[in-house]
Amino acid sequence: MNKKFLLNRFGRTLLTLVGVSIIAFMILHLAPGDPARIMLGQFATEENIEIFREQHHLNEPLPVQYGAWITGVMQGNFGYSIRYNRPVHELIWTRMWPTLTLTVSALVLAVILGFTLGILAAIKRNSWLDYITTIQAMFWISIPAFWLGILFLYFFGLRLRWFPIGGMAGLASLVLPVFALGLREEAWFARPMRSEMLEVLNQAYIRSARARGIKERVIITKHALRNALIPLVTMIALRLPWIIGGSVVIEVVFAWGGMGSLLVNSVLARDFPVVQAILLLISFAVVMANLFADLLYSVIDPRIRLED
Amino acid sequence: MEDTLTYEEIKKDIDNLKQEKTSQLALVWSRFKRNKLALIGGIIVLIMVLIAIFAPVLAPHDPYRTAPLRRLEAPSFEHPLGTDAMGRDMLSRLIYGARVELSIGILIILFEGTIGITLGLLAGYFGGWVDSVIMRLVDILRSFPVIILAMAIAGVLGQGVYNVVIALGIVGWTTFARMVRSKILSIKESDYVEAARSIGESTPSIIIRYILPNAVSTAIIMVCIMMPTALIASATLSFLGLGVQPPIASWGSIISAGRDYLLQAPWISTTAGLFIMFTVLGFNFIGDGLRDAFDPTADRS
Repeated sequence: MNKKFLLNRFGRTLLTLVGVSIIAFMILHLAPGDPARIMLGQFATEENIEIFREQHHLNEPLPVQYGAWITGVMQGNFGYSIRYNRPVHELIWTRMWPTLTLTVSALVLAVILGFTLGILAAIKRNSWLDYITTIQAMFWISIPAFWLGILFLYFFGLRLRWFPIGGMAGLASLVLPVFALGLREEAWFARPMRSEMLEVLNQAYIRSARARGIKERVIITKHALRNALIPLVTMIALRLPWIIGGSVVIEVVFAWGGMGSLLVNSVLARDFPVVQAILLLISFAVVMANLFADLLYSVIDPRIRLED
Repeated sequence: MEDTLTYEEIKKDIDNLKQEKTSQLALVWSRFKRNKLALIGGIIVLIMVLIAIFAPVLAPHDPYRTAPLRRLEAPSFEHPLGTDAMGRDMLSRLIYGARVELSIGILIILFEGTIGITLGLLAGYFGGWVDSVIMRLVDILRSFPVIILAMAIAGVLGQGVYNVVIALGIVGWTTFARMVRSKILSIKESDYVEAARSIGESTPSIIIRYILPNAVSTAIIMVCIMMPTALIASATLSFLGLGVQPPIASWGSIISAGRDYLLQAPWISTTAGLFIMFTVLGFNFIGDGLRDAFDPTADRS
């Protein structure tokens, strides 16, 4: 990796982070009307609204407000939740782990399933397995996450009673949300994985390995798989925002007490300090994952020289 | 380079090159027609569009007429898909839901398409700092999960059909912009644009006469690719209580309402979801077929 590429990439990341924080901050000011009144509701007294304005620097010009907010954020201070009357970072801290458990488990499930199906479909090209992989992927990407969650909840929770229908009581309650989230995501890995593997199998070095009489099994596991795996890093980074987005909905369906359900409730209750903080954290995670994927990509594949 | 070519000759060349383009479109169409999945997708979408247009004729009952004594009735001859918690006919509500859902989808595409195509065009054609600014903005917006940012915006703006469209449009235009930009970059290098430029056509004229028509194919694919996201995301917002509000019959809010009666009346949530799934599936099949038809090098069977 050359220095110029690194500097360029870090510069862009920094710029994106600043932009992301401005958008998260501006959410509150998007609404027509007075933010203080929006948050406190229409029955708040003038006096309370004035106090609230003072507390949240709402009388200052926008850049000053942003400055105050972002300085606080960098010191770990995300402000106070209006609804819970507690520091936002405390709220988020307790809600973060359930969300991480859910999204990481779903991601692992999706990657393993999608990877296996994609590779098999490529090796057995034009077989029934290949067609089924394609068709099932089309179905999964056409199903809304919340509906799949409700279907699972109905069949496996209410009818068959195999798993709890909600809450966070042990491993059993993790099963339905993880499958509802992970199965849909599998489709997004299976199809790119298939075409990636097909491309690798068409490369000259695979053909020459075949010509040398190396067993097909060895070719696939030793030569092809290794190269087909490389883009997986980028695929995961690209799907990350969608998995996080899906987890929000799945958390609501299964009453999973994570950041997603906190976010939905905060949006509905107009508890903006919480909304801003969650928006910022999630986009921060996405930006960093992309940076990491890019860097890792250029390390594991020395052929790649990322420009711009 | 020979400078003996006259203006008329170059004009003719450009016409020929454009001619080639139309025959290429014919080729694309014939490839698309052979794709069975795309055909099935087309039929599904056509049926849904017809249902939406002829909803008043097709619906057996008034979708908004409540009947407190007939709530949560199982599917019967009179109510083929049962009734909901207020005794309203489910089939009629789902038929009217097609209207609501498809119009929202179209509005979202129009809104995000207008922003995305304009900005993508500017970025691709002018390059330089214009391109940098627009593409950084794209980077920034794409760092947010679509549904999460849309949720926050819809939450601020308040519930309602138009706010769903605005929220998803603000978030979703980046895909359009990126696709259009890369298409423009390749068209810009093409022979006919270079030829047009060499005979001194002005920039706006080049954009309108040569670049836009050639970006049409991209735009058509884009609509089919963007429709599923628009439909699912708007249904999701309605489900979360941030989109279309009851009593308006939208599939998302019907699923949400049916959640409370899953054991007594599972047909409410399940049938509404099936409508969403088949509509989205139809668009996905078409989008897939179009992509293959326009790009035959992409590997498929």
